[in-house]
Amino acid sequence: MPERRSHRPLRDNPVLILAGILLLLAALAATLTFANLSARLSPDFLTEFVLYALSIADLTMLVALFFVLARNIVKLVVERRHALPFARFRAKLVTLLLGMTVIPAVLVLLVGSDVIRTSVERWFNAPMDEILSSANTIASDYYQERQQRVTDRAQRIARALAPLELTEGNVGAIQEAIRPEVSQHQVMMVEIYRVVSAAPRAEVQPLVDLASASLPAGYTRASADRLAERAVSGTAEPRVLEPLGSGGELIRATAPIRGAGGRVVGVVVASDYLTGELAARARRMTDAYEAYTQLRVLKRPLTGVYLSFFLMVTLMILVGATWMGLYLAKRITRPIQALSAAAREIGAGHLDHRVEPETADELGSLVDAFNTMAAELSASRRKLERSTIDLQRKHHEAEGRRRYIETILERIATGVVSVDASGRVTTVNAAAARLLGLDEEAVAGQPASVAFSRADLQPLGALFQGATNGGGEPPAQEIALVREGREVHLAAVATALHGEGGTPEGTVLVFDDITPLIRAQKVAAWREVARRLAHEIKNPLTPIQLSAERLRRHFATAPAATHNLVEECATTIVGEVESLKALVDEFSQFARMPAPRRVATDLSALLKESLALYNGLFPDVRIECTFAPDLPAVHVDPEQIRRVVINLVDNAIEAMERKGLVLIGTQHDPTNGVARIAVADNGPGILPAEREKLFLPYYSTKRRGSGLGLAIVRRIIAEHGGSIEVGDNVPRGTRMTIELPC
Amino acid sequence: MRRRALALVVVAACLGVVLVAADEIQVTTLVREGRVLVSFRLTNGFSEETLAAIHSGLPTSITYDVALRKGVPIWFDRTLASVTVTVSAQYDNLTRRHQLSRAIDGRVEEVRSEENEEAVRAWMTTFVRLPLFATASLEPNGEYYVRVEARTRPRTAWFFWPWDHGSTAGFARFTYIP
Repeated sequence: MPERRSHRPLRDNPVLILAGILLLLAALAATLTFANLSARLSPDFLTEFVLYALSIADLTMLVALFFVLARNIVKLVVERRHALPFARFRAKLVTLLLGMTVIPAVLVLLVGSDVIRTSVERWFNAPMDEILSSANTIASDYYQERQQRVTDRAQRIARALAPLELTEGNVGAIQEAIRPEVSQHQVMMVEIYRVVSAAPRAEVQPLVDLASASLPAGYTRASADRLAERAVSGTAEPRVLEPLGSGGELIRATAPIRGAGGRVVGVVVASDYLTGELAARARRMTDAYEAYTQLRVLKRPLTGVYLSFFLMVTLMILVGATWMGLYLAKRITRPIQALSAAAREIGAGHLDHRVEPETADELGSLVDAFNTMAAELSASRRKLERSTIDLQRKHHEAEGRRRYIETILERIATGVVSVDASGRVTTVNAAAARLLGLDEEAVAGQPASVAFSRADLQPLGALFQGATNGGGEPPAQEIALVREGREVHLAAVATALHGEGGTPEGTVLVFDDITPLIRAQKVAAWREVARRLAHEIKNPLTPIQLSAERLRRHFATAPAATHNLVEECATTIVGEVESLKALVDEFSQFARMPAPRRVATDLSALLKESLALYNGLFPDVRIECTFAPDLPAVHVDPEQIRRVVINLVDNAIEAMERKGLVLIGTQHDPTNGVARIAVADNGPGILPAEREKLFLPYYSTKRRGSGLGLAIVRRIIAEHGGSIEVGDNVPRGTRMTIELPC
Repeated sequence: MRRRALALVVVAACLGVVLVAADEIQVTTLVREGRVLVSFRLTNGFSEETLAAIHSGLPTSITYDVALRKGVPIWFDRTLASVTVTVSAQYDNLTRRHQLSRAIDGRVEEVRSEENEEAVRAWMTTFVRLPLFATASLEPNGEYYVRVEARTRPRTAWFFWPWDHGSTAGFARFTYIP
């Protein structure tokens, strides 16, 4: 089971996700709080700075939302085009989540925007307009009226002072002129200035000031001085409102005092007092009117502010919900995608592929179950592979054993015939086919009773039957067959095959050609007989011969008839003894054949030398030689081979009754590694039945002889590791072929 | 091709291309005694909305960005000098008087009070021979132009484009002949 990754990407970090959500909620809460506090902010500040900031924030979030949506939509489109797994499901899920998020948000935004606009419109209505405008007009008109009255008073005072000289010596008269205005509460204060210089820079000098006792303190002369200077310089603004520190306002107005010729000689500054309460009330009315009017002027940007607030909140929610929706869609589809990809990997044979569980919920359990399944599949596969390898190995071994057995069966000299439980022949090896004279392919599948129906093979059939019938493992039997006129001895044993539980599965017949063994046993037996005979017979021969020689000598001087009789008998006795000695010598020779002393010998030369003995010996016999030119030297005992050749030539001449043709040839067979010597005659030939007996001791077709010649020849050839075969010569006669290894 | 066109549209929108109305500010220049004297008049800056803002008592200002520039072929024009002239007015509905002020590059040059609305309009929109630039850095026989761009506050739009720089502009070319 793969371990959970210790390093998750940022998007999957729960802590970061939670922090992001909290940040978003905090921003939302801050926005809502600021929106609630916006009523306390000046409209100008709201519309100038707040709207600007909100516009930027809204644009930023729109761009972010657009980016998030565009990125994910493009990704979905690409995934669908590439037909990636679960692309359609994910697209549907994302579309559904986005639809559930965006559509309600947009609807709320549209409805909310309309509500905001309508509500803002409702702030401004005709009755409210009328009330506030009237109140402002009342307050403003009152101010205008009071200002005008002060201005009128100032002008009247200026006209009253025009005839007077504005000097310090005339202050009393001036005061008297202006006193009634102050005492009658026409104005609260009058200040008279004398013009010192007019242009370019006006300069005035205060001359007289008279104030009512009820005028509150807090006013300054400086404002009157500036006002007088401006009046003299002709600057506009003939009146001014001066707020007092104790509350209330001082309405000041100026009027120039013109002397003779219309020249400005002085300035009257008249001041009237507005009580604090009155001023405040008027100001409040004006402020209310101005606030209302300003709201109306800034109606659109204010509406924009609230719409922007609303839009920002909506965008925040939209961004958060969109991101969460996309995140959820990814969280749902990613493990399923991973599982789908993993299933394909498993199907492709990569059983070590695993999916990392990202969550601990049901999806995580599904992933764990998948991984467990993959692990078990992998283990099963490995087990299967091991079993397959083991099976292949065993099959290979079995095949090897089969081939080994088949090779053995094909190569061994032992005949093997197997029969199945139904009695049909299943196996006949080459040796069996050769020994029994059967066709392997023809016999395979035949019932044993048919395969072995031939008369000479019936003993084998009986063996099969006996083994099949049971009764334990029979002992090996010697069976004699006649094959191509030769007697073949077989040592055969048949064994019943049994499977598990003892069910019969057939029979196997194994037999060996023991003909050479039998022959060798016979030869050995004859050799032993010959040795014993030679030993037993040879001993008395010498005394007999000596006795006969003694009698001859004794009766040498006897009468002629007795001498002749004794001479004839002694001669006969000695001759027969000599014959017996020769016979015994041959037997001894047969019995104790010396080991060949091999030397590299040129066979052709040896044969020529041996055949030279027959020159002129048999005039009616023609001996022809054909020697192979490439015959290599053969390691043989020259004397023994000479004896063999002479024996064969002698037999051939004897068989032709000393008239005919004897062919002698040599041949090299490099393939088999043998040198062949052939001695052929055109005599009467030898019957097939007689051929095998030829090499038996004491068997002869000649009227005389010991019958050991060919036995000795065979023994010599055998001692050299070779073989001798007798066959028919073409067109007639007998052919003896010797093969010697070279 | 479609993608390029779309990209161009997006870029233009992002850059906040502002349509400049021609001849909304009449600009004239005069070179005298080492100074470039600029006269300009805002012909239609006093809209109904601006008047309403003034009458509501809102501090209303018109900011004129005056720049002396030299044209550069196939590149952005080079700004040699710039001055900001701000005029503001605040109307007191109680006293029915406008408090006016004029500042150049943040320095208050003049403050006055006015009752007459026409006088206020003229005072805020007409500027005669303001000595704004020195000719010391100008090349003889060089082609220059003075661009004046005006912005009015408060703005009364629904939504503020972050890249909104001005609503009206005008310019005047001249050749500096020492």
